[in-house]
Amino acid sequence: MLAPCFLFWIPGVERMKKYLFWRVMQIIPVLLLISMFVFGLLYMAGDPVALMLPEDATQEQVDSLRASLGLDQPFYVQYFHFVGDLLRGDFGYSYRYNQPALPIVLERLPATFELAFSAMFVAIIMAIPLGIASATKRNTFLDIFISGGSVLGKAMPNFWLGIMLILMFAITYPFFPVSGSGSFAHLILPAITLGTASAAEMTRVLRSSMLETLNQDYVRTAVSKGVRNTKVVNLHAFRNALVPFITITFLQTSSLVSGALITEVVFSWPGLGQLLIQAINGRDMAIVQASIFMVAFIVIAMNLFADILYRVLDPRIRYD
Amino acid sequence: MVSFDIHDHSNTGTEAIHVNLFSYLVKNDVENGEILPDLATDWELIDDETWEFTLREDATFHNGDSVTAEDVKFTLERVSSDETLQEYENYRQIEEVEVIDDYTFQIHTNGPQPAMLNRISRLGSGILPKDYIEENDWDHFLREPVGSGPYQFVQWAMDDRVVLERFDDYFEADQAQWDEIVFRSIPESSTRVGEVLAGGVDIAMNIPPMDWDRVESNEGTSVVEGPTNRTMMLVPNHREDFATSDILVREAIDLAIDNQALLDNLMGGSGTPSLTRVNPGNFGVNEALHDDYRFDPEEARAKLEEAGYADGLELTLHSPDGRYLQDRETTEVISGMLSEVGIDVNIDFMEWSSFVDLRAANQQEDLYLIGLSGSLWDAAHQLRHHSSMVAEDHIGYRNDEFDDIYLDAEVNMDEASRQQQYEELQTIADEDLINIMLFQADNFFAVSDRVNFEPRLDELWMVDEITITE
Repeated sequence: MLAPCFLFWIPGVERMKKYLFWRVMQIIPVLLLISMFVFGLLYMAGDPVALMLPEDATQEQVDSLRASLGLDQPFYVQYFHFVGDLLRGDFGYSYRYNQPALPIVLERLPATFELAFSAMFVAIIMAIPLGIASATKRNTFLDIFISGGSVLGKAMPNFWLGIMLILMFAITYPFFPVSGSGSFAHLILPAITLGTASAAEMTRVLRSSMLETLNQDYVRTAVSKGVRNTKVVNLHAFRNALVPFITITFLQTSSLVSGALITEVVFSWPGLGQLLIQAINGRDMAIVQASIFMVAFIVIAMNLFADILYRVLDPRIRYD
Repeated sequence: MVSFDIHDHSNTGTEAIHVNLFSYLVKNDVENGEILPDLATDWELIDDETWEFTLREDATFHNGDSVTAEDVKFTLERVSSDETLQEYENYRQIEEVEVIDDYTFQIHTNGPQPAMLNRISRLGSGILPKDYIEENDWDHFLREPVGSGPYQFVQWAMDDRVVLERFDDYFEADQAQWDEIVFRSIPESSTRVGEVLAGGVDIAMNIPPMDWDRVESNEGTSVVEGPTNRTMMLVPNHREDFATSDILVREAIDLAIDNQALLDNLMGGSGTPSLTRVNPGNFGVNEALHDDYRFDPEEARAKLEEAGYADGLELTLHSPDGRYLQDRETTEVISGMLSEVGIDVNIDFMEWSSFVDLRAANQQEDLYLIGLSGSLWDAAHQLRHHSSMVAEDHIGYRNDEFDDIYLDAEVNMDEASRQQQYEELQTIADEDLINIMLFQADNFFAVSDRVNFEPRLDELWMVDEITITE
């Protein structure tokens, strides 16, 4: 990031373009490093042949399968093959599904996105009223209740909350299906499970940024001018408190995508998470590589987007 | 369910679904020890290396094509010639399939193959539609598979569900009684149980003991158990550096373990103690060694003393954790039983993939716990692992007498004497305590009262054997 500091005389738009270019260029080495790291880890974890065959497979079976998959080659040969293929966008072949890995992973992405964005929606509609209420009723019972609830929401593990919701709302009171996908009803419990922790985080951020803006001079001026309280809160304070809230929302998207992995297993949601966990258990290297690559890409992209949005929303932030 | 490539997986759960979509040449009724006709109506051994089969003429694939000898040739020669396929090792014994006419063919084998009919009634033996695959391509077949079984393909959402529907032109269509079947993949056991309790599914498999009460106490559901072909055992290291190379130590371990108590305390009393890993249903079982065990702690102490371990002995026991039902608990209870007779056990719990690596590298120490099955339903499969071809590298065990009988039996086309040979081999294995057998394991299902369901020994989902109660 040396370049932009010499560019103070370039008009703002040019500087932003340059900034964007560098940020996007940064993604490439990061992704490469991630996939190399994953390759190394998987290689150290051992090869999948013994796991693919039954417990009592003979040595000949193991050897012949290992040779046919190219796993009898030395590390550096396998590594160069891998990098070469990766540069061509080829993540290799899934041993488990006998298909190229990337299409399988891409096929699962929409389900994970559906879950993650529904969870985001749940988180937003929970966080906005709770955050505002908590800030405007500061130090009241309501504030303590909401703040305590956020701590609890953040602390509850996904899988535990998921199992409890299934017990309550699918078995004891069967309002929703236990697991699976295919209808709107299937989405509700997993979305609440996944969205709760984010809602808690976002509520806390909104509360503190609301408190900060409520103490600003322009808000006090508005109040002393006799502007109605709801108008002060909605127009003056909330809008200005939105900047950190929006940023945290986008940062949460990436944790929602990665958090979806556990939720998917609990609810048998056929997304990337289930695929990845089964692939790790079976050392289906190509799928693990492609999935992690994809999750990393989404996380980086979301962080970048949050960063840019932050700068657009708050013109005080410079590109250098 | 991992793929519709019937030759490139080794997953019983996947085959359990395939059996409804594909017809086989013959079916193995393992519970009654009979080979039954399916696509083949007659078969005959022409000479030691040639089998002739006659196909039924009214069988069609789901796309309307007739099932002919060309389809059989295409299917069996694919798996017997392509070394990259996971099932190749189980089919390479087939040299050629010779088509005599549309409905007659001969299978030529490499040397005598007494277990040939078992081989072609197991995983990977569904007959594939040659023309359909050649006209489209293999990937198309994998997406939209066509077989000649009682149910045809509707949908496969990977790791979610496989949907099949009734095939009206099935050659025994009167037996196909369900309009639609849905196989769902629900990896998390509490969710799986939840689906049965909520009525979302009728049958769920692999139900852990902690959920049995939930299922039983719920109105309209119950736990059903049935035997599997899997035997749980301890595998001792016979190499000289290890105490378990001494037969007296192996005998002491065997005598110290109360096999029935393991089942009573960990499996609700289900399962069968055994001294052999060849279970009833497999050709060659030695019935005298099944449903039996030895337990005598006093005698175990005496054996240890005789072996020179009067002051106690320390052993390492590797155990998978979470691979088999109650595996961790089984290991812990065994360790307790062994300490009662003076054997201190260092338990090494391992995640499955590390455990597999340890075994593959033959790096285990004194003992490990494992459950082994056998999809060939012929003792040849299980006993091979006691022969020096496998056991010498793996555990340092070699017995030339065992090897001679084993190799002779493998090509012995006389059923009666082959049976006798296998019984003898199991006696040798038991006397030498090559492995220390624990029990034949049961599988547990949560079943809705809506259906009548009896688990099959081969763990296949023959859905037409499941009926509606009413």
